[in-house]
Amino acid sequence: MNKKRKKIRLSWNKKCCICMFPAIIGTLVFSLIPFIRVVYYSGIKNQFDTSFALFSNYERVWKNEYFRIAFKNSVQLILICVPILVVIAILISLILVFGKMQKRRIQIAFILPMVIPTAGIAVIWRQFFSEIDNIIPVYLLFIWKNVGICIILLTAAFASIQKDVYEAAYLEGANSVRRHIYMTLPISAPTIFFTTLLSIVNSFRIFKESYLYYGTNYPPDYGYTLQYYMNNHFLKLNYQNLSASAVFSTLFAGIVIAAGMSFIRRFQN
Amino acid sequence: MKKYLLKFLFLMSALLFILPILSTIGMSFWQEKLSLQPWIDLLLDTPVFYKMFWNSMFYASVITILELCVATPCAFGLVTSKIRGKKIIFMIYLILMMMPLQVTLLPNYIGLREMGLLNTRAGIIFPMIFSAFGIVVLHQYMLNLDEAQIEAARLETDSVIKILMYVVAPQMKACIIATSVFLFAECFNMLEQPMLFLKEERLQNLTVFMMNASGYEGNVLFPASVIFLIPVSILYLYFNDALEKGIKL
Repeated sequence: MNKKRKKIRLSWNKKCCICMFPAIIGTLVFSLIPFIRVVYYSGIKNQFDTSFALFSNYERVWKNEYFRIAFKNSVQLILICVPILVVIAILISLILVFGKMQKRRIQIAFILPMVIPTAGIAVIWRQFFSEIDNIIPVYLLFIWKNVGICIILLTAAFASIQKDVYEAAYLEGANSVRRHIYMTLPISAPTIFFTTLLSIVNSFRIFKESYLYYGTNYPPDYGYTLQYYMNNHFLKLNYQNLSASAVFSTLFAGIVIAAGMSFIRRFQN
Repeated sequence: MKKYLLKFLFLMSALLFILPILSTIGMSFWQEKLSLQPWIDLLLDTPVFYKMFWNSMFYASVITILELCVATPCAFGLVTSKIRGKKIIFMIYLILMMMPLQVTLLPNYIGLREMGLLNTRAGIIFPMIFSAFGIVVLHQYMLNLDEAQIEAARLETDSVIKILMYVVAPQMKACIIATSVFLFAECFNMLEQPMLFLKEERLQNLTVFMMNASGYEGNVLFPASVIFLIPVSILYLYFNDALEKGIKL
């Protein structure tokens, strides 16, 4: 009896493993194995002289003036835009969850931009901000588009807080602002951190918004991000520079992601 | 009084959020005065628009369906199987999901070039099917799967496919719908892949059309934007309940 049962379980386990194969093979073929090639390209001199140049490609990329501008702008986007985005999302979510009004319909308005294709909205954005020549329109587009996912995650976290947590605060006469600062926000801190990390990750992807807004490969300097740099080298098919900057961006993104994840892990324990 | 003011401000900010959409619709009926001219220019004089619209729909639907077919079993395997290293596999997918597109594009491009899939529809579809987003979202939702039901079903059948279809999928309904809407919106919105992987106009999608639309006759940008917004807006408004409940990260 016991033996038979064990046999069945084993085959079930194998079947579950086989379930993963199609996706894993696809990922290997289209992403991971080619990525090894990218690392290889980033280390050689050029396609015809494949001797190893170690870090000279990286050095060239790092010393490039445009790469530096792009890097600075990408960091600036994370430092300025992401905090604003998260604060706006927290405020809206608080009102949606704790305010006393018809919230279903209102919530739809905030979340809709998330699924709206950027290309469909870039035209009106250009019309709105035709007079302005700084980065703010792109920042606004980024916030407009990303507030939705933050609100979905935050409202779920706020709504799951037990109501009796607030009773003691009620009795002590704390007003609603204090209640939320000292209770709601600390209780849902892991979700808030995760939302922040997700927004940082989304800020790496701002290229599409920016590209459709400016409509050119060469935007003004303040709008030039790492993705433009890579895109332009892509069009030139400059493999060595491209690979080096891809590896560099992977490391940059990887470090930010890993740091964020381990911070959240530590906080949860 | 203060309460009403706050309420009013909040409603106004909600309105501000849909203002760009409303004004796009408004502008599509405007050419120096109220007129249908932009719509006529687009629908009658720009035949290439139809082609690209259907390309967009085709890419988005095919990718969404195929990705679900690949990602659901994979997420199921990651949750239920008992092998070492499945945590590492999941971490790899999590990191892949968070990587900027520009980083994954180059490996994709190289992979496609080796297989001779550049400048084909398959070249757009394949890398997107194996994107990590579906696997990660489905996996997180599946962690709360009712295991007793699966155990019970295993007494009845030995087929994983049947269990996936009749036991797992019904429990996952909200998540599967939410994932599909997101995937569809994502693919409908894709710009870099068609721009870099495709050369021929007949294979391009609407996003690329919008990039080049200033080159076409007349004032076609606004009506094209409106049509661009319609499919995803319908999907979202119809499924918004599932969309809010089906995402657990």
